[in-house]
Amino acid sequence: MYIYLPIAEISMHIGIIFGLGGGVGFLSGLFGVGGGFLMTPLLIFFGVPPAVAVATEANQIVASSVSGVLAHMRRGNVDFKMGGILLAGGVVGSSLGVMLFKYLRDMGQIDLVIKLSYVVFLGIIGGLMLLESVRAILRSRRPGAPRRKLHQHNWLHGLPLKMRFRRSKLYISALLPLAIGAFVGLLAAIMGVGGGFIMVPAMIYLLGMPTSVVVGTSLFQIIFVTANVTLLQSVQTQTVDFMLAGLLLFGAVIGAQFGTRAGALLRGEQLRGLLALMVLTVCLKLAFDLAMQPSDLFSVELLK
Amino acid sequence: MIRAVAIYMLTICGMLAASLVPAHAGRVVADLSQSNVSITSGFHGTELLLFGAVDGRETDDIIVVVSGPPTDVAQRRKAQVGGIWINVETNIWKDAPSLYQILATRPLADIANVDTLGQLQIGADKLKLQLQPEKPRPGTEKPDAGKFLQSFARNMASTGLWPAEVGSVKLTDGALFRADVQLPANVISGIYDVRILQFRDGVVFSESQTNIYIKKGGLSAMIYNFAHDYSLFYGLFAIAFAVAAGWLAAAAFRRG
Repeated sequence: MYIYLPIAEISMHIGIIFGLGGGVGFLSGLFGVGGGFLMTPLLIFFGVPPAVAVATEANQIVASSVSGVLAHMRRGNVDFKMGGILLAGGVVGSSLGVMLFKYLRDMGQIDLVIKLSYVVFLGIIGGLMLLESVRAILRSRRPGAPRRKLHQHNWLHGLPLKMRFRRSKLYISALLPLAIGAFVGLLAAIMGVGGGFIMVPAMIYLLGMPTSVVVGTSLFQIIFVTANVTLLQSVQTQTVDFMLAGLLLFGAVIGAQFGTRAGALLRGEQLRGLLALMVLTVCLKLAFDLAMQPSDLFSVELLK
Repeated sequence: MIRAVAIYMLTICGMLAASLVPAHAGRVVADLSQSNVSITSGFHGTELLLFGAVDGRETDDIIVVVSGPPTDVAQRRKAQVGGIWINVETNIWKDAPSLYQILATRPLADIANVDTLGQLQIGADKLKLQLQPEKPRPGTEKPDAGKFLQSFARNMASTGLWPAEVGSVKLTDGALFRADVQLPANVISGIYDVRILQFRDGVVFSESQTNIYIKKGGLSAMIYNFAHDYSLFYGLFAIAFAVAAGWLAAAAFRRG
């Protein structure tokens, strides 16, 4: 059965939409990421115009983040103070991102910027994660190896405006989470992702937050950043396809629950290693597409 | 069933046309099985039956040209810059037909010569369209439409909106004709123009015209209009829906 998507203005098989939602939802439940970095390229691959894919995915991530954050809140794994500051940066960053998105779209270069951002950030994050998880797996095979310190102190801890974050057991400058929030917000708007895959490593390695509160706090602020993107894209570019988002999230919320259960069977570093491989695969595929000569040098787009 | 009725009507039309029109005048009468098409949520393209009658001979030919509402189309050219392929040039085709489909009784070259087809702009490669750079700068020349038309037709063919193959028209006894008009799933809404040309000895003997009206309908029209007319409320609604769905999912699976 095909369904006509009114904003994307294409007809898509309902099985593909549910399959995408369920599959990406499963992986996001398994790895504790939003899954936007997988979903947006897949939607584009299936013929959804890139601008619509990005804006619609932001809308869908609102739903999956709400669903995820509730589970983390029950376990007390959300640092609301830290989340609030990340969020303040995120709203500024994502608003700038939507403006930049519109500007690049008018220039006809939005597709390139989306793809390049994916290659660069998936490459960096995937590479780092793979390295870290391989080290962790090797370390766990050598019992008695010295434990690392909770976090290293460096120049970042010398910045002004210091604040205490009880839940995260941190006393650091508020400027740091503000800047990270703004940067991830900007990427979220351009790449159609929640930014969890950048936010989570940044919180662990840059801020030094305990891993237990990272995912919940990240999800908490992603809700507001993606809601902001959804609203701004709706008003400025009219590219949010409500029909597509609704069908995707239906599959995603179910897939995520199965993913969470499957995730309990694997160890943390194994999970991170697998996620890293997946991230790198998407990165390599996109890099390959950019580097290969396209079969047709010309392309068309109907303007309204 | 629809087809049977259509053929029946077509026969009646044919008889009427034959009895009303003087033998020498040449006249085409045509109608569609359905002239209003609604793009609803289940829309995945559709096929319309074009049928009618001509006052003609067995050796006559029919060419049908279906063209969609004129739209500006951006054509982008990629080139390799610093190892990657990026869009380096964008030109706009002004008021290009958003759909362009030709149906004929025989291959076009057997019906009329190139000059005649060119004058009538029959064939994607014979369309006279305006091409201009996306951002016109003083001093730069206008891009040569002729140079880009072939690649443009190829690009449009790959979208399915300008099928490269000529569809078939069946002409019976030089009096009754019928053709299946395919509308792909990505047609845009608007008024579509259907031209029916009767050819005799390589020239147009008579012609007729009819329209297809395509518009969004049902839920997809509602969503589209909502998104464009009340975009702020649409955004808020989309967020509220997502929050509710996420909350419901969490609640449902917590119990389950």
